[in-house]
Amino acid sequence: MIELVNVKKVYNAGNPSEFSALNSVSLHIAENKVTVLKGPSGSGKTTLLSIVGCMSRPSAGRVKLNGREITSLPERFLTDIRRKTFGFIFQQPNLIKGISVLDNVMLPAYPLGEKRSHLKIKAMKGLSELNIANKAASKVEWLSGGEAQRASIVRALINDPHIIIADEPTAHLDTRLSYRFMEIIEKFKSEGKTVIITSHDPLVYESAIVDRVVNLRDGQIED
Amino acid sequence: MRAWIEKQRYIIDFTISSLLRRKVKNFGLLALYTLIVFILASTMFFTYSIKKEASLILKDAPEIVVQKIVAGRHDLFPASYIETIKKIRGVAAVESRLWGYYYDSLVSANYTLLTPPSNGSPTHNVKSSAKTTVVESESGDQQAVDMAKPLFELNGAVLEPETLIIGNGIARLRNIGKGDYMPFLAFDGKVINLKIAGVLSSQSELVSSDLMLITEDDYRKLFGIDKGYVTDLTVAVSNPSEVAMVASKIKKRLPQARPIIRDEILRTYDSIFNWRGGMMIVIFSAAVLAFVIFAWDKASGLSAGERREIGILKAVGWETSDVIQMKFWEGAVVSLTAFFTGVILAYIHVFFTGPMVFEPALKGWSNLYPNFELTPFVNIEQLTTLFFLTVVPYTVATIVPIWKAATIDPDSAMRFTGE
Repeated sequence: MIELVNVKKVYNAGNPSEFSALNSVSLHIAENKVTVLKGPSGSGKTTLLSIVGCMSRPSAGRVKLNGREITSLPERFLTDIRRKTFGFIFQQPNLIKGISVLDNVMLPAYPLGEKRSHLKIKAMKGLSELNIANKAASKVEWLSGGEAQRASIVRALINDPHIIIADEPTAHLDTRLSYRFMEIIEKFKSEGKTVIITSHDPLVYESAIVDRVVNLRDGQIED
Repeated sequence: MRAWIEKQRYIIDFTISSLLRRKVKNFGLLALYTLIVFILASTMFFTYSIKKEASLILKDAPEIVVQKIVAGRHDLFPASYIETIKKIRGVAAVESRLWGYYYDSLVSANYTLLTPPSNGSPTHNVKSSAKTTVVESESGDQQAVDMAKPLFELNGAVLEPETLIIGNGIARLRNIGKGDYMPFLAFDGKVINLKIAGVLSSQSELVSSDLMLITEDDYRKLFGIDKGYVTDLTVAVSNPSEVAMVASKIKKRLPQARPIIRDEILRTYDSIFNWRGGMMIVIFSAAVLAFVIFAWDKASGLSAGERREIGILKAVGWETSDVIQMKFWEGAVVSLTAFFTGVILAYIHVFFTGPMVFEPALKGWSNLYPNFELTPFVNIEQLTTLFFLTVVPYTVATIVPIWKAATIDPDSAMRFTGE
């Protein structure tokens, strides 16, 4: 489904502060599986995830999505792919303060111009499934950590993506909420979605629902 | 198309909510922006309307005023010259005038004294600032009909010896009215008491605020002017295209005379008010510049919170163009709100409250201001100029910062780890 061939990522190229985050990474991520990218801080997990999720481009190498080369696509097309194919769950909930949970959840769908009433029904359904429908009108700053995390998961799903990308999702959750998160991931898998998670939390990479763990260190895959 | 409209609605909704979330900052910007528009619009409206008002009044002024000049200064005009001018071909009528100024030390005000036209009609056109009176008109002539429109009305008052009729401004300043007496110090040191026979109507304040009408005898007694002299002459010309020719003939026959054509007075008024308006705009251009710098700073100095928001929006699927659109709507909401609020406030300020803020600078300096309301007159050209002076600099100042903000990498949201 997703294939990376000799992907390199260099930050601040040509400057004294040049830094190579990924070195010749080749990887195949299978469809309808849960893949965990594991490694210590600075190993290149988040960089790899941002390249897979079309958020940034590799400095060298190729990325293919369903067999289609996407590395050289213009920004608009990459954004379109990102919007329709990927749902992002960040380390922090990254919700926008000052607006309601419902508005936050609907944000990724705004550029698609979907009818408001339909969008609202879809968002409320997502919130209900994660048991936070009663918080729809609340401002995000009033949510607990777990509620904010769930709101961000509903936001990731609003455009019904095939691939869920989660960057250190349990880093700020306690054990109970982390287990709850993994239950949600299991549900995604059962719905046929592909999940890619970066984590160095054993609770995640040792979970029974994880199909594959990819070890990263110093920007390279360890076998 | 429907999806596009829906998208714009979402973006506008989000923009408005974003603006409201940063109330203090945005209201501060809006207030400053509105103030700039208000100042510029007030200056423009006032200058334009007063020029318009002056030109309307001068439209009915005599075509030529003839003064006598001695050593480059205005001198009394010998009445015997009238016959010489009457003989010039093309001259329809000649009328002598007696007018002058009287300084009232009690209230430190200068009055304009005028003897009414000799035919006694109370509805002749008088323009106090240019000190001209038009008399004698041929009936049936359209120009004559226009000229016969009264610029001040005596309200039934009759001017008799030892009485006077005063303008509204004087009545207000001295707190006097019909039946009261006004003392004058004559040229020979004697005090002359004149009874007020009436007050000029307020509709004509611009031209009659500081005006006093007195009889010819009283005028000559007050200033010590012999019967053989008048202040100046007005000349009516039959064919408007011959005005310049008649003026040059007057100059030729009477080398000491100075004929002043109405168009010259109009041009002078125009340049005076243009100059005053221009001065105001030059002064306030510094304020506009400061505002542009502020706008640049505001737009370029995106807070960490704003950057984070843009990063999140891009990460969840907003394109660079969506963010630019959002910022465009943000600019449009701020600009247009400030523009329309500023223009409406300026309109109220200039045309309804009396332009109290700028009146002294734009109208001139005096103890005795005419108390009049300007006729509202706004044209599309003025509004367009104003738009280009305010909205365009703001938009230009914010283009680059907006572009920078919109091109924040989407993965910046992934790099953000602190809350």
